[in-house]
Amino acid sequence: MGFGLNHRLDKRELLSATVSLLLASTVGAPAETTGAPIRFGLTPVFLTNDLELLGRLQSYLQRSTGYPVSLITRRTYQEITALLTSGQLDAAWICGFPYVAHRAELQLIAVPLWHHKPLYQSYLIVDRDRQASSLWDLRGDIHAFSDPDSNSGFLVTRAALAERSLRPETFFAKTFFTYGHRDVIRAVGSGLAGSGSVDGYVYDVVAELEPDLTAGTRIVKASEWLGFPPIAAPKIPIDEARLSALTKALWEMDRDEEGRVVLKMLRLDGFGAEDAASFDAIASKAALVAASG
Amino acid sequence: MGISLDRSWPITVKVPVAVASLMLLVGFVLSERVLSRLGDTQGRHLIELSQSYLDGLSSAIAPSILREDNWEIYDAIARAQAINKSLHPIETIVTNAEGAVIAASDPKRHPVGSTIRPTPIGSKPLASFSFDAGADNANAVRVLSYPGRIAGIIYATFDTHHLAAERRDVVVALALTNGALTILLAAAGWFLVARMMRPVRILSEHLGVARETLAVPIPEIVVSKTRGEFGRLFRGYNALVRSMKEREDLGKRLAEEKRLSSLGRLASTVAHEINNPLGGLFNALAMLKSHGYLSNVRDNSLGLLERGLIGIRDVVRTTLTIYRTDNVARNLAPSDIDDLGLLIPPEARRKGVQIKIDNELRAIVPLPSTPIRQAVLNLLLNAVAAAPPGSQVQMTVVTGSEGLEIAVADRGPGLPGFAAKILTNSSAAPPPLDGGGLGLWTISRLIADIGGQIEVEYLVHGGTAIRLTIPILSTELANVA
Repeated sequence: MGFGLNHRLDKRELLSATVSLLLASTVGAPAETTGAPIRFGLTPVFLTNDLELLGRLQSYLQRSTGYPVSLITRRTYQEITALLTSGQLDAAWICGFPYVAHRAELQLIAVPLWHHKPLYQSYLIVDRDRQASSLWDLRGDIHAFSDPDSNSGFLVTRAALAERSLRPETFFAKTFFTYGHRDVIRAVGSGLAGSGSVDGYVYDVVAELEPDLTAGTRIVKASEWLGFPPIAAPKIPIDEARLSALTKALWEMDRDEEGRVVLKMLRLDGFGAEDAASFDAIASKAALVAASG
Repeated sequence: MGISLDRSWPITVKVPVAVASLMLLVGFVLSERVLSRLGDTQGRHLIELSQSYLDGLSSAIAPSILREDNWEIYDAIARAQAINKSLHPIETIVTNAEGAVIAASDPKRHPVGSTIRPTPIGSKPLASFSFDAGADNANAVRVLSYPGRIAGIIYATFDTHHLAAERRDVVVALALTNGALTILLAAAGWFLVARMMRPVRILSEHLGVARETLAVPIPEIVVSKTRGEFGRLFRGYNALVRSMKEREDLGKRLAEEKRLSSLGRLASTVAHEINNPLGGLFNALAMLKSHGYLSNVRDNSLGLLERGLIGIRDVVRTTLTIYRTDNVARNLAPSDIDDLGLLIPPEARRKGVQIKIDNELRAIVPLPSTPIRQAVLNLLLNAVAAAPPGSQVQMTVVTGSEGLEIAVADRGPGLPGFAAKILTNSSAAPPPLDGGGLGLWTISRLIADIGGQIEVEYLVHGGTAIRLTIPILSTELANVA
């Protein structure tokens, strides 16, 4: 996904991020590292454009695991999923949709807790002043999706249309992918798109952090509660020790001061071990879509 | 400049006005040049910035434009506008070759798929940049083309309010500077010219006084303070005034001489008048001595003696009157006119001219007697001289509504034009240089001095009538009454 220049990114933040990164590599690394770094993939399921957040996350993980940590980001979900399934990443924070799609090759290692639950919603958003009450009022729109491999930013809407044997390219006049939930909000807020499908968690966090960005939009419909984007690892770990260290660091994040800072920035309560069954709703949507062709 | 300087304006106004006009012209031309250069500079600067903006945007959207990737192009525009804040981009629109909007900085104004500015006007290619000095915005267009076809078009509008404001600031600064300079230079011009023209003003004031009364020399203290050309001019003027004064004095002296000469003429007449009967009187005395015993001879001789002595007494009395009144200033009395009736007849008789005097004056008039008598005597002597033998010279004296009116008429050949001119010229003309007409000039001066007027009338049956009108001031009349 690349680090798009976020308008929130000012000098102070950049400086603190840089300091964090420097501290991470000079303090954390030499003390306990013995082998290759943990390669941890990230997707825009959260605000990956916040450099300070990334710096702190990396710092926490390095200190907690005792390994150097590389945070790997890519433009699309697909690229991270491909890296993960091909064994080039120790773990990645992916979306529920790629997880259920590649469930045979992946194992769940942690699921974030938002409002103390491992669940989130997908929002259908439109311009604030627009009269619309359901997806069916949005026919003929220019619709912004987040990513073709995103559950909340694509699959939920796609499945809702498939339930009525409709397809996005015919139901909507035009669709495009922004490859970032925050950019879906921007696209709808600016008027470039008439409506958009967005991650409810990201939308709420953006509404809190950047109220101006969401001020021009409103939620037409929130989906049912679905499994929160999980952290997954290849079924056969690249390195057992590294993975277990990472898993432990994630599970214990809420018990560490720096970890709590990271969680606070993420607006999450912590990471828990969840049953893969919590993603069955997403799996059924994927199946519905697959069946509709 | 279109400002015609009124000739009647004083030079102290003309010069500052001219300076101000020139300054305004110079200021206008300079301002125009400055604004033109400013417009050029602003325009060039704007073109460079806008081209760099379009270059950056073009390279950012080039891959996306072929895919018509709305989001990527929108994001690129948003980033370009955020980065190029100094250029103040208002709006950027990217369309495909057909003019359909792919993305715009404000998608609500230009929604995706809407068509804008579909084709360039006429055959003229799209102007890549347009900016009018002082306008609030500038427009730039960039056609993105790949060999063989147009991929898309970028339309960008930039806010140039700040440039217009800068231009306004410059205009205001120029106007204030030029205005201040103009006022300053006009004031300086006024001050300098007033200073330089002060000697001219002094001179013109003195000349103005000279027009009304006698020329007055410029005080020596002023002349000594003034150097250079004006000093020479002042000295020249004073020399002129002195020479005029000398001429005035000369004229007065000449008039006095004329008076004396006329008195001399009178004295010779008197002497003649006395001498003529003397022969007869001596004869009568001789007859008395030799034949005094004869009563008829005695009576005749005594009668002759008495008449001769009466004539001599009259002549002497008149002459005495002249001398007496010369020394004491008194008002004109009816007897003054009657005295003339005694003075003139001997001369008239000599020329065989009859004198007729209608003296209607009944009381003393508050007018100086000496100049009037002198003038009238001269007029009568002239009339007698001009009148042919056997003709009559008539004088009338009346007090009318306009004052004392004295008319002297003769049957002569008529007063020559130049002489009439000397007589009626009431202004302080110098006396005739050749001495001719000095008597007339004297009359003219005497009458002018007491505020009278002289008219010359040529009579229908030949001859000249000269009329003197001397106003009597009512207050003086009241005093007299």
